[in-house]
Order: sequence, then structure tokens, then C-alpha cells
Amino acid sequence: MFSYCFPLLCLFYNLWKIFDRRRHQNCYILDYECYKPSDDKKLSTRFCGEVIRRNKQLGLNEYKFLLKAIVSSGIGEDTYGPRMVLEGREMSPTLEDAIIEMDDFFLDTIDKLFNKTGISPSEIDVLVVNISMLAIVPSLSSRIIHHYKMREDIKVYNLTGMGCSASPIAINIVQNIFKTQRNVQALIVTSESLSLGWYTGKDRSMILTNCLFRSGGCAILLTNKVALKEKAMFKLKCLVRTHHGAKDESYDCCKQKEDDQGYEGVHLGKNLPKAATRAFVDNLKEIAPKILPVRELLRFTLLTLIRKMTQKYNKTGAAARPVINFKTGIDHFCLHTGGKAVIDAVAQNLNLSEYDIEPARMTLHRFGNTSASSIWYVLAYMQAKKRLKKGNKVFMISFGAGFKCNSCLWEVMRDLDQDGNVWKEFINSYPPKTIDNPFFEKYGWINEEDPDTFHIPDDYVIP
Amino acid sequence: MPQALPNFSSSVKLKYVKLGYQYLVDHILTFLLIPTMVGISVQIILLGPEEMLKIWRSLDIDLVQILCSSFLIILICTLYFMSKPRSVYLVDYACYKPPITYRVSFSTFMEHSRLNLKDNLKSVDFQMRILERSGLGEETCLPPAIHYIPPTPTMEAARGEAEEVIFSAIDSLMQKTGIKVKDIDILIVNCSLFSPTPSLSAMVVNKYKLRSNIKSYNLSGMGCSAGLISMDLARDLLQAHPNSYALVVSTEIITPNYYKGSERAMLLPNCLFRMGGAAILLSNKSRDKHRAKYRLVHVVRTHKGSDDKAYKCVYEQEDSQGKVGINLSKDLMVIAGEALKSNITTIGPLVLPASEQLLFLITLIGRKIFNPKWKPYIPDFKQAFEHFCIHAGGRAVIDELQKNLQLSSEHVEASRMTLHRFGNTSSSSLWYELSYIEAKGRMKKGDRVWQIAFGSGFKCNSAVWKCNRTIKTPTDGPWQDCIDRYPVHIPEIVKL
Repeated sequence: MFSYCFPLLCLFYNLWKIFDRRRHQNCYILDYECYKPSDDKKLSTRFCGEVIRRNKQLGLNEYKFLLKAIVSSGIGEDTYGPRMVLEGREMSPTLEDAIIEMDDFFLDTIDKLFNKTGISPSEIDVLVVNISMLAIVPSLSSRIIHHYKMREDIKVYNLTGMGCSASPIAINIVQNIFKTQRNVQALIVTSESLSLGWYTGKDRSMILTNCLFRSGGCAILLTNKVALKEKAMFKLKCLVRTHHGAKDESYDCCKQKEDDQGYEGVHLGKNLPKAATRAFVDNLKEIAPKILPVRELLRFTLLTLIRKMTQKYNKTGAAARPVINFKTGIDHFCLHTGGKAVIDAVAQNLNLSEYDIEPARMTLHRFGNTSASSIWYVLAYMQAKKRLKKGNKVFMISFGAGFKCNSCLWEVMRDLDQDGNVWKEFINSYPPKTIDNPFFEKYGWINEEDPDTFHIPDDYVIP
Repeated sequence: MPQALPNFSSSVKLKYVKLGYQYLVDHILTFLLIPTMVGISVQIILLGPEEMLKIWRSLDIDLVQILCSSFLIILICTLYFMSKPRSVYLVDYACYKPPITYRVSFSTFMEHSRLNLKDNLKSVDFQMRILERSGLGEETCLPPAIHYIPPTPTMEAARGEAEEVIFSAIDSLMQKTGIKVKDIDILIVNCSLFSPTPSLSAMVVNKYKLRSNIKSYNLSGMGCSAGLISMDLARDLLQAHPNSYALVVSTEIITPNYYKGSERAMLLPNCLFRMGGAAILLSNKSRDKHRAKYRLVHVVRTHKGSDDKAYKCVYEQEDSQGKVGINLSKDLMVIAGEALKSNITTIGPLVLPASEQLLFLITLIGRKIFNPKWKPYIPDFKQAFEHFCIHAGGRAVIDELQKNLQLSSEHVEASRMTLHRFGNTSSSSLWYELSYIEAKGRMKKGDRVWQIAFGSGFKCNSAVWKCNRTIKTPTDGPWQDCIDRYPVHIPEIVKL
């Protein structure tokens, strides 16, 4: 009998080791902080009109196109732009401008995050920075390490070029590191650099990015320490990445290139919505079984089978296609605010109500399309509106160049009721009664002008 | 050694004492175990076979007990092996070999320099002096856009260079290993200074039609040490994903980063950086255990960004005329030495044999307690590694490291010859050097390789590999047609 003690002890020890490792592999968000630029960087529609007028390359058709795009984009009057546009230097941005833009963001947001959580920079073990359009030497991650005097053995990764869907990719890296090491604290910094990517030519598909993208960013603190579980806000349940780069139409629909005159810009192709839908559907197909309850999956499978069988025997009269109800497994939806059309399309595909897409719409209105960090602004809106309760499931989905669609599911760890995030000062005025652009009528005159004789006088003042 | 005594190190007798000491300490466990085993077996033999049978019968074991204990033992062994971290194997790698038409000899370079910088003869002189002392040869290559006078670095040209370098390297890797592109689960691309949208990793996915659930990552801005950072990321990913292949592509795209101004400190990279790239296939599948070339043992990363001088020593900025270039500061060597010391402090205990560590510990204690004047003991890394791959950053870097680590000229031969034949190809230079060692037939099974790279920030990263199987010559790789000409003697100054 006693001779079995020792092997049994070994067995239990090994089992405990495996179980304990699983316990330490969870990915928790301790806190996050979104960037609110200073008010002197606000871009109103009036100012945008001014910027368009300043560009001597554009003719009447381009004005019409652009004003129509701005006015119907769903972007409001209080979004923020890079400093060099506000100072009138958008035709010749310098490297200095780009670095200042990034410094403004880092010094403001990361400081606030460290103060809020009480964690010091020397406790950070992993740093992942993703800023798509700027790659300098030394990298922006080195810039952060230098400023905050972080440790020498820090694991640092600088991702670029991954587009608007880069946030889940950064979380993926951190999630994998959490699986192999214990008691790790990670900092993810995500933003976009608009200064050097500003397009100065007149190709319509490329100017659109100037109109839609705005300044913004987010810093997120994650950990897998079991001791900090009580203070955590969210726990990562699953993450799925879909990459459609293999298809040529998907790869070419959002591409950075030079136009006919040699100006660099990001070209948005006409089949962008189609590529996005395809990637979106593929991603949903993969993540749905992982996040929906079994009951809903069974219901959907049965309905599909029944429909297939009735179609086989009864060729006429197709029944309505069964739709998966995502709300059975998800309580809140964080959609990437790529534009009004994107939000509408996703809402239609997932059968979401106005209440569900209100956070995304309001983020688009107040902050514009801030690229990879937009889903964090949407999350902050939900938190400010006190919608997040313990046990709720939050679904984040974003699209990006390549063409990628990445999504992840978070579980809320505790009731998130306290104030104090980026929406704090104006959350009570949201949602506003109308989000139509006030300049809609003012710019209506442009439809009557004749392209050949059109000429804006130099002293024209926008009403 | 105390300063008062004469220097005995050169004495032959002391060398043998040192060898004996090393042998003793390194194999101490064997020395303790063997007498114990011998003692036990002698005792058992003395007992005699009848005694042993009697003891066996008295234990009174029946079939059930035997089955239970064997089941338990098997279960414990399985659980133990399941919880061990997975080994990461390097199946194979391929380096890009530029066509001979891209060659830039000294005369071509100087002529282009004179025509491009015609108003700044001092800068032309400066470039000539750098080239003379650089350690580069006449066969290094630059991409086609740079061969124009003046260079025409458009985005299309940059994309063209990226496609040529990356796709050739990956094609050659696929041919060597025979795996299908559909099998790749993880893709990491690192290129410091060129980062288009969609990323270079998306470009690879598009060309080779990789799977839609591929995990792709595009690292940039991390300098010449980015190759080892990608290895670290791949290792972490392969721990979390069993049975997968990871493809890592390391390159540096020269086209968009050619400095067009005349500021001297920023002309330095123009003289040293050349075209190059490498594709590496990593795996954690057990069936690759036998055909893999190397096994990854350690990756150690050191980041000196918190120090102001270290941070600013490789810095991208605009000169007085608004032209963008990379500024290399004068104390690059000193900072590199500091970063190396930090890295060695971490990697030393992991790789040095027990004898070296003991000596280092004794001298450390001695310095702290007895006499601070004792010379610090620099551990002999030649005991821990057979081959060294030092990033071919420039002649000064290799000289400095050779001095610091007390390496012989054969150890740094791979680095010097790579600098001569291919120039500074940034993150992929380590792979050209490894290829040189293999082409020379020096890589045997069990050999340990130490790859060290420095990068902007200031980072010093190192990786330790263990050779899995002896690599036979002739190898196919970038050195295939010229290995017999090497090593060449590189003079201090080449008169132009």
C-alpha cells in the first residue's frame, strides 16, 4: 500500500502543475485609457472645407465629391486632426511633425494610464506598439522605453502596416506570451500617424482617407497575474483572425501606392465593401461555434437542415434563410468605426438594433475613424453609459488592409460603474437628437455650379 | 590574480592545471555517480544469484500490483513530457543572392557619389575614406533604383525590391525543405524602414495564397537585431501552438532609405548597407527532429533605451535641408560594448560550463570581500560555443567584439567574410554568416552557435542554437560559387 504513495504523489503533483499552468494563462485587461487630444486640434466641417479649398490641385468635381463625402460620413464637428493640418502645413509635412504627433499621444495617455492603475513603468515586461503608417529608427517602442526608463529585459514588439485591425493582433501576441510565462504585465499602445500619410494629390480614391481618418489612440494594460484578478476589468475568452490576402481583389482593395503624378497615398478600391463582407462572414463562421451557446447552434443547424430538405422536395417557394442570433452569446458589440456604411452593413448582417450600434455611431460622430484604436473608444462609451455589468460578454470586431478581419470576445469581470474615462465630460449630451451634418444645406449650392466656369474667388468666406 | 605575483598564465604547467580543473568541475556529477554505481553493482554481485531470487520472491508481488505500478509510471511519464516546453527546431533557411548586375564596385560607388554630390566635395572625400576602411568588397549589391543618377526611390521601386528579395528567398526555402505553403501556420516578416499598407506580411500571404487563418505579424523599426526578435516571437508562438510551422522573413529594403543629402554622419549608412534577405523555417513538430538543422536553445534580449546616449546613437532625422537619413553617433562602439556586457551577464549563467561560472563567482566574491583590485575575470566564451555569428555591422563592431570576447580570427572569420562579400545586410547578415560556416564544412553535430546582433534603440540580442546533424559540403546557398575563394585577407585600408 505504502509503495503506491510515492507514485501517486508524483501523479497528483504533475496534474496540479498542468492545472496551475492553465490558471496562469488567462489574459486580463487591468485598465485602458483612450487619447483625447487638446481642443485646439478640433476639425470642424467648416475647417475641412477650408483645407480642401487650400489645395490648388482640386477642381470642382473633386470639391463636390469631397464635400459630399464629409457631410454624409457620420463624422461630427468635434473630431481631432494632426497639428500640421491646423497650422496650414499639410502640403509639406516633416518627420518632426510626425514625431510630435506621436509624442503628444504617448506623454498624455500613457502617463494617465500609469497614474490610474498605480503600476510603475519598470514593472512592464512586455510592450507592443502598433502604429500603422510610421516606421522610424529607433522605433516608436524604443521611444516609449526611453522616455519611461523601462527595464532592460523588456520584450518589445513594434508592429506596422497592419491597418485598422491591428488591435486584436497586438492582443494575440500578448495572449501567446501569457501562455508561456507567468506573472507578466504587458502594455499595448495603439494609434495612427496621420502626418506623413497625408495625401496631397487629386486622385479621388486616395483623398478619401484624408477626410475619414482622425487622431486618436489608446493604451491598454494587460496581465496574467492571478493575484490581480480582482482588479481586472475584462478577461479574454477567445480571439479569431482571418486573413484574405490570398485573394487578389481583397489584397488590392486597400493599398498604399503612388498616383499618376507620383504623390503617395492610400488607395481605397471600389470593391472594398465586398472584400470586407467576405472576410467578415469567414471570421464569423469561425468564431460563432466558439462563443454562442449550444442551444443556439443546435437551433440554427436544425433550421438549416429543415430548409435544405424542404428545398429539395419543394423546388418552388424558398423559405426565409435562418439567421443566427448573435445576441444569445453576446451582450455588447464593439464595431470598428470604419465609416457610416461599414457600421450599417455590419448591423444589417448581424441583425442589430439601434441600441446595439449606438456606441459605434456615437464614436464615429465624436472621434471619427481613429483606425486601430476606434474599438477602444466604443468600449469606453459603453463603460461611460454604465452598460457593462459583471458577466456580460463584449464582442470586438475590426477590419483592416490586407484584407484582414479580426475579432475577439471579452468577459466583463466586475460591474464597471465608475466614471473617469475619455467620454467623461460630454457623455451626458450623447446620443444627440440628430447627427446630421449642419453644413448639409450650406453646401447645397455646389450642385448648381458649372464645372467649366467654376472658380472660387480668393476672398471667399465659407458661411 | 594578485598584482604582486608575476604573470604565470603563460606558463605551460599552469595551462594543464587549468585544463584539469575545467575537466573536473564540468564532469563533477559523473565523477560522483560512477563510484556509487560501481559500489552498488559490486554489492549486488557479491550477494549472489540465489540471494537475489530469495529477495525477489519475498516481495510477494502479484499481477495486479505490477499492472497498477506500470500504469502509474507510464501516466507520470506522459504527464511529465506533456508539461515540458516544446523544442523549437530550425528546419532550414535560405538567403537571397542578388544577381551580379546589381553589383556595386568601389569605382561605381565613388563615381555615383561624385556625380550625386557634386557640390560637396568634402562629403565625397568622406565617403571615400569610409569605403576604404569599411571592410566591404567589390561584389556587394544595391537595388536597381539606387543605380540611377540621381537615385529614383519611388514606392513602386521599393515594392519591387521587396518582392524580389522576399519571394526569391521563400521560393528557395520551399524548394530546399519540400513543404507546401498551405502548411505554414505562422508568418513573421521584419523589415526596419519600409512599411507599406498593406504590410509586407500581407504581400507574402497574397503571393503564396497562404491560408486565411494564418497568424501573421509585421515587425518594423527594430533595426539590425530584428531577426532575433522575430525568433523570440516565433518561439513564444510555437509554445502556444503545437504541431506548427513558422516562417520568418528578415530583410532590409534599401530603396526608400538612401540618403540624398550631404550631411556626413548621415552618409555613413549609404556606404555600409547593402541588399540582402533571408527566410527561415521553424517548426515544433516531432517529425522534424531528425531532419532539422538546428535547435533553438536560448534567446536573450537586452534593451538599453532607458539610457539617453544609447537611445540617441542611431537616430532617424531630417538634416538642415529637410532630407531624411539615419544619424550614427560617434560613441556607437562604446554603447555597443555596454549593451554587450549586459547581454553577457544574462546569457553567461545559461551557457557557460560550471568551471567558468565557478571561477567567475570566486573572483567576484574575492573582489567584493577581499581585495577590489583583483582583475575582473572575463569568462571564456570559447568554452561554451564552437561558432560565433556576430552581426556584420561594420569592421569596427567586429573588431570591438573580437577584443571584448577574446576571440581568435577564425571565430570571427564568418562575420568578416560576410561583410566583405555581402556588406551590411542588417537583420539577415547573421544567416549569411551561418551559411558561410556550413559551406566551409565546419558545422558538426552538437556544435553550439552564438548569434549576436545589435540594433537601434539600443538593443543587443543574442540567440543560442545547437546543431542537430552534421552538415555536409557542398551546401547550396549564397556562398555556393565563391566559397573556395574565401577567406580573403582584408587590408586595413584599401587605397582608392
